[in-house]
Amino acid sequence: MQKIILSKIKTVTLILAFFSLFSCSKDDENINDLDETIYIRHRQADMPAYIHGNASEKVFLIMLHGGPGGAGWAERRNTIKSEIEKNNAVVYFDQRGSGNSQGNYAESDVSIDIMAEDVLALVKVLKVKYGDDSKFFLLGHSWGGTLGPATLLKNQEDFLGWIDVDGAHDPKGLYNEYKIALKKMADEQIALDNNIDYWKGVLTLVKNISIDYNTKEFYKMNRQAYRAEEKLTDDGVINNSKNDQDGWYNLLTTLWNGNNIQNILVKKGLFEKVSFTDKLYKITIPSLVLWGKYDIGVPTIYAQEAYDNLGSNDKELFIFEKSAHSPMDTEPDLFAEKVIEFINRYK
Amino acid sequence: MKVQTIIFLLVCILCLQTQGQNGNSSFLDRTEFKVGYYGNVLWDNGLNIGAEYMWKEYKNIKERKKGQKIITHQFLFNGNLGYSTNFSTQTDNGLSTYYGLIWRRTNPKGKQYNVVLNPLGYYRSFLPETYEVKGDRVSKVKLPGRGYYTPSIAIGIGKHRKGKKRSGWYLNLQYTLRTNYNAGTLPVLSLHYGYRFNFKRNRH
Repeated sequence: MQKIILSKIKTVTLILAFFSLFSCSKDDENINDLDETIYIRHRQADMPAYIHGNASEKVFLIMLHGGPGGAGWAERRNTIKSEIEKNNAVVYFDQRGSGNSQGNYAESDVSIDIMAEDVLALVKVLKVKYGDDSKFFLLGHSWGGTLGPATLLKNQEDFLGWIDVDGAHDPKGLYNEYKIALKKMADEQIALDNNIDYWKGVLTLVKNISIDYNTKEFYKMNRQAYRAEEKLTDDGVINNSKNDQDGWYNLLTTLWNGNNIQNILVKKGLFEKVSFTDKLYKITIPSLVLWGKYDIGVPTIYAQEAYDNLGSNDKELFIFEKSAHSPMDTEPDLFAEKVIEFINRYK
Repeated sequence: MKVQTIIFLLVCILCLQTQGQNGNSSFLDRTEFKVGYYGNVLWDNGLNIGAEYMWKEYKNIKERKKGQKIITHQFLFNGNLGYSTNFSTQTDNGLSTYYGLIWRRTNPKGKQYNVVLNPLGYYRSFLPETYEVKGDRVSKVKLPGRGYYTPSIAIGIGKHRKGKKRSGWYLNLQYTLRTNYNAGTLPVLSLHYGYRFNFKRNRH
């Protein structure tokens, strides 16, 4: 009997030790190398923020992912992870209805305005968690370049700088710019004897696109813009894309979420009505505009437009010569160098 | 909510009715328990426990040259409780429970086909440290997470081991709807693989 009791006590002790091992590790927060996941509950949505890197100086770079409907976690790759996180903490945020965000809300609770308020809610939480003296930089990639200006136009006081990476500050203008950029790129590549059949097909596609906005045709061109990147890579015009993202994201949830949130925003007129071009002058914090020379996803013409219209006195435009829509994947070292240099200058 | 309540009451009435009808055989004789894996192998993995209570059983006897061929059709009440997580992101922790009816066909060799209908289901997510923002007020949420209604259907195969305590295995593909998730309904596909066991006095 005594034997049985002793063996049971042994088992229970082992189980308790096992659980306490895991419960301890979570609380031992290392400010020089943060590895945390927190959620922000705002207007019926629960949105994860994955916080990584060196927060010893309380400098946080908030990453706004692309899409709409991308995923914050997926931005954690290449030199963002290996270099930028060493310099400062990086906050990868799953926006409303994106990635692993969840909640119960209606379609009326989805708008750029509310999503911008979500980002400001994240800042409030980070201040409570890490102190009021925390410093924030905002980086928006692609669709993040729509949400970034929307956020800063609501409140830019909390941010020390804005980094616009191939950002769509003018989604309304994309339909026409796709036609121009695809044709221009096709003409250039045909002149260079690169993938002639493919680029001739692109010219035919552009010729048949209707003058007025049409969602189906918008996506035809959008898909083509990304296919074009593959051809440019094949011909050595841009560098090969690197992506060392680790871990298994919940792929089906992410895809379903992304598709759903994008449909709602498009239905509400994202690519027909939304443009921040005329309001960019109100953004007066230091700004860095980073763009790939061969970007068609958000055509390169927008780089100059963003730079010209931003209201900041401290602004810089940098074009990556061997990149298209994602310079963090095609020229990762130079990308990290530019971002770190900007953050260190204004932190 | 109204629909869920009506379904719940109907299931309760059916349970009570069967208890009355089968008063002469014990609960344990009509019940099998199960434990197994559930998830999608890649990013969502969990453990599930459950019970199946036999409501009706029909035997279809066919005369063959070699002898009788008995095909058994069963209707079983099904109740489950499971916990799953995504080890990479720690963002998919959740407890799920669901109840419904199983139709099962068993051939003389013990090979089984299952069709499962679970109109009652509930998923409770468990989130890590969560802060709620209302205006300028930030507060920490206690027991963060959300509850969702999750009806499901499943189809699968299995094997019955006659007269054994560990009476068989099952492999089901389940399709669950998690609603109201964000601004819609989230479809979830999962694999369920496990073993059934029983505490029957007269095993057959």
